[in-house]
Amino acid sequence: MPRKTLFAFILALLLAPPLAGGASAGQIKGTVKPQGLRSPEGVLVYLSNGPEVMLDLSGAKFVMDQRQLTFIPYVLPVPVGAKVSFPNNDKVAHNVFSLSQAKKFNLGSYKPGQSIEVTFDQPGVVELRCDVHQEMKAYILVLKNPYYALTDAQGNFAIPDSKLLAAHGIKGVPPLPEGKYLMKTWHEKLRGDRAKVEAPATGAADVTFRLKRGPSGVLYKR
Amino acid sequence: MSLETLPLVLPAKLEGRSMSHLLKFLAAIMVTVVFGLVAVSSLRAQNAAPPQPAPPKGPPLIVEGRVVSQYGPVKGAQVRLPGQSQMVLTDNQGHYDLKTTAPVMGRPMVTAGKAGWFNNAASLSWGGQAGDITLYPVFLQDDPSYQYYSPLVCFRCHGRLTRIWDQSKMAHATSNPLLLQMYYGTEQERLNGKGIAYKIAEPNSQGNCAQCHAPGAASDPKRSRDLDEILRSPLTTWDGISCDYCHKTRKVLPAPLSPSGFAPALVRQYPFQGRSILVFGPYSDVVTQPMAASYAPVFKQGEFCSSCHSHLKPLPAGNKWDPSKVYTPDEMAGFGIKGNTVLPVQTTFQEWKQWQDGLGPKDPNKGKRCQFCHMSWQKRLLPYDNYVVEGMAQHMFNATYRSPNDLHPHHFEGGTKNQLQNAVALEVNGKLDKKIFTVTVRISNTNGGHWVPTGETMRNMLLLVSAKSLEDKPLKLIKGPRLPAWAGRGDPAKGDYAGLPGYAFARVLADGEGNLNVPFWKATRIASDTRLRPKSTLKLEFVYQLTDPSDEPSAEAQLIYRPVVRPLAKAKGWEVKDIPVTAKAW
Repeated sequence: MPRKTLFAFILALLLAPPLAGGASAGQIKGTVKPQGLRSPEGVLVYLSNGPEVMLDLSGAKFVMDQRQLTFIPYVLPVPVGAKVSFPNNDKVAHNVFSLSQAKKFNLGSYKPGQSIEVTFDQPGVVELRCDVHQEMKAYILVLKNPYYALTDAQGNFAIPDSKLLAAHGIKGVPPLPEGKYLMKTWHEKLRGDRAKVEAPATGAADVTFRLKRGPSGVLYKR
Repeated sequence: MSLETLPLVLPAKLEGRSMSHLLKFLAAIMVTVVFGLVAVSSLRAQNAAPPQPAPPKGPPLIVEGRVVSQYGPVKGAQVRLPGQSQMVLTDNQGHYDLKTTAPVMGRPMVTAGKAGWFNNAASLSWGGQAGDITLYPVFLQDDPSYQYYSPLVCFRCHGRLTRIWDQSKMAHATSNPLLLQMYYGTEQERLNGKGIAYKIAEPNSQGNCAQCHAPGAASDPKRSRDLDEILRSPLTTWDGISCDYCHKTRKVLPAPLSPSGFAPALVRQYPFQGRSILVFGPYSDVVTQPMAASYAPVFKQGEFCSSCHSHLKPLPAGNKWDPSKVYTPDEMAGFGIKGNTVLPVQTTFQEWKQWQDGLGPKDPNKGKRCQFCHMSWQKRLLPYDNYVVEGMAQHMFNATYRSPNDLHPHHFEGGTKNQLQNAVALEVNGKLDKKIFTVTVRISNTNGGHWVPTGETMRNMLLLVSAKSLEDKPLKLIKGPRLPAWAGRGDPAKGDYAGLPGYAFARVLADGEGNLNVPFWKATRIASDTRLRPKSTLKLEFVYQLTDPSDEPSAEAQLIYRPVVRPLAKAKGWEVKDIPVTAKAW
């Protein structure tokens, strides 16, 4: 073996572990193609058996806003333990409440400018209503692990969803370990689907969901 | 000129000019760029979200004065600047001392109002001094032959308000086709008297339908209560519950002889004081002509709705029924019924009242009233501003700013898909244990301040539950409720669901011959009442048999609302569509 080639080989051996370590974060990417919806945006895709990790939620900020008789956003995925604030930025009083099994609460009527916080400590679908304005409805989806994503306007998603995690200030999410996972979807107007996915050590697995209109399901079959 | 060429051109153009000229030129460019950026960012901000007008505020102002009448000082009058929710009450001497930061808009004035008096106002000096506000009493003269103003009169100044009301079920309650068919037993053209109908059962009676469906006519004892005669009468100015009728209500009082148990205390007077029209309402600060407005607190209370949203039927002398099979003693007391000789046919008002009466003082639902939901803001009514007074009236009456919190759009929505979807919620869960699949369904009355469904007893809501194997084969129900016969016997594909796994929510009236779902004039008892109480959740279990213990079954539940119970719709030949409320899967 020529000396130059041997040097290059040794150098490659030395550099390989750190480089491989830096790119070991596996990812699951994909697309959701729903039938009968105007937009594929806002479909939740999550790993129902993803690794449960201790999250640093000290700097996290989850907000369910109220403006112009509307909850914003319509769907807010949060990890278990999230504290969600409900500011009233409207011109009329609102009364947020939920009778869902995952979280029952009633904030009572409160005026514009006020805000109340609620901690969501059980996984599941929490359906929000306003007792004063019956059109107002939204969902808080409480998830067991941070490996979830919301589809964008094109129906694309990536798990972990770095943009969503950053927007909510969730820190300390470890890279998705290599392994086999069960992926599921949730949308208010779509029948849920699931797929078995193998997350690679590096790079990304690719998944496509074709969803049909129908009743939504539960997040976890306990 | 491009940005690239700018440095090359500038020195040539500025040659021979002084340094101060150069600095001025550069400063001008900087100012232009900064203003340009500000303008662009402002435009972007406008595109991103429309600006919300902030509640108006003005410099602190202390207004002092007196509210008086021809009888002396008026105690307990509400005093405020027009449109403002902040107000004070006058003391024993009629004095008030109002500190406010509300802006003084248009012609500065301060208003006063009290139940039993016409609202009035006094001019306000910029220093906060106001002359005495004189209130005049509303004399309780009621003329039953009064001819109500047409809503078209109100439309001139309250265009948007009356348009929304015109789309409500209140507005055309007399000419409602279902009502006329239940009254006469005829079809659309009213040619054939057939089927179930009040006038067929009671041909010599005009009944009391008009009391709520045509209250303007029914409140005149000289007029016919026959719906057809009312509709054809030249004295009838509108085919429903008009603005002028409701706003002639001073109070609502108990009335044991009324079918509802309540009756409005009407004050019907022809215009006086020039062209003024007497109107009662929820505001003590409305002082604009041609309305002669008087504050009436009942407009903010659930009791306002009681005279129609209640129907108690005394049984013929000597007849009794057994309420204990259907209701608890507390529920019967809540309906306002003692003994066993009166049937609770419609009890929407009482359902709300007993719910409210049962809440503790700190309960977040305490104080919720009918107006909160049935006269609430809806997205289709946005933007909030200029809702009540619009068009030319804004300029005539100083465009009083009123918080949306104090405005109540008159849509009176009820029984619609939109409202049903938000009145109830559904959750489904499954549990597998070897060859047993248990489906748990929870149905909640989330937003109904009364039982759901409520009102007319032909209304009902059905829960349908189904389960299937991984291979899409239907599973067999071995334990759990099934739908009754009145859910429709026949083909499920055509909406006949009797016998299927599920649950029916309804108040079922029965006659002495064992017939169910009979109209109120035939009813002799309440057979069952399975409706959802306010904020309550009903938990139901449906147990299915699996053929394969390793199966991965699934389940679905859906709620549908039926405006008319199936057998009645078939008997009348009505094509009544089911309203899908919600559906969930496991």
